[in-house]
Amino acid sequence: MELILASASCDPSVDIICAPENVNELFEFREAMFYIGTFPITRTVFLILGITVIVSALLFFGLRKKAVVPSKFQAAVEALILFVRDGIAIEIIGEHGAKYTPWLLSVFLFVFIGNLYEVTPFVNFPVTSRMALPVFLAAITWMVFIFAGIKRQGYRYFVGIIWPTTVPIFLRPLVGLIEFFSILLLRPLTLAIRLFANMVAGHLMLTLLLVSGWIFISSVGEIGARAGIGIAWFIMGLGIYLFEIVVIILQAYIFTLLSAVYVQTSLYPDH
Amino acid sequence: MTLEAAEALKGAIALIGYGLAAIGPGIGIGIIAGSAIEAMARQPEAAGLARTTMFLGIAFTEALALIGFVLFFIA
Repeated sequence: MELILASASCDPSVDIICAPENVNELFEFREAMFYIGTFPITRTVFLILGITVIVSALLFFGLRKKAVVPSKFQAAVEALILFVRDGIAIEIIGEHGAKYTPWLLSVFLFVFIGNLYEVTPFVNFPVTSRMALPVFLAAITWMVFIFAGIKRQGYRYFVGIIWPTTVPIFLRPLVGLIEFFSILLLRPLTLAIRLFANMVAGHLMLTLLLVSGWIFISSVGEIGARAGIGIAWFIMGLGIYLFEIVVIILQAYIFTLLSAVYVQTSLYPDH
Repeated sequence: MTLEAAEALKGAIALIGYGLAAIGPGIGIGIIAGSAIEAMARQPEAAGLARTTMFLGIAFTEALALIGFVLFFIA
């Protein structure tokens, strides 16, 4: 039970069906693990700091030597950077997109490691399933694409949004209103909610199936052969585990891809 | 219906709402993936472009279902 980190108030010896009071118990860790000065470090904050350490170490040790004939690790890190630069930045934004590579690479690695905690044994908690983190990342994307638009087009960036010249004149107020809300409000909101909801759904499915399977299996002495249903749930949980690994990679990719697409539409609104 | 009964049924109503929210995006993602497979089969040399565009389309469509999923928890 400790490893899967289910709800702490759930006591399987009392009743087979034990429901936590609130689903938030799976996502909130209020007790501080330790303190830095007077600043409490909870499990979530500790994992977020861990992302920084892991990403920095990956890039530092991967690119430390810069050998002409790279080692396997260096080749893997270089392939990852080339994937973000050529596959996302240059392919989506265009020839001048290469200068956005550092930001896109940071976002990709941060979201990827944060998601990867979901299937890491003994961690099993995606920090991106706390709404604060996706909202923060989406706010950065929001600022980057608005600054990119202002830098390239000046005030005409906002004029182009609320008074689009490519549609018939009697439709312009309506389209402009829709575009205004869609670009300035719905874009960051859906970007954050997409990552958040995918990770919450994955964490819930994994926890429910694996924990309930484990509860059934561990109470085999009390309910006898009926504990066999726990084996089916456990196997289904492991199947979802594999599915979640695909979702993790895909969500990190989609978050980076959409950030690049938003920058591209503020730079070149006509295409 | 009294207020207490509505309160007791809140979870079930939210669940139905999530189910309704998942219908449209489900159909939409099916259409997108089917069209992308057709495009890749017709023009294998454009498979990379079709795949990127497919992921983009899926991401935009999926957002509606995910908003329903989030509202289910808020309700």
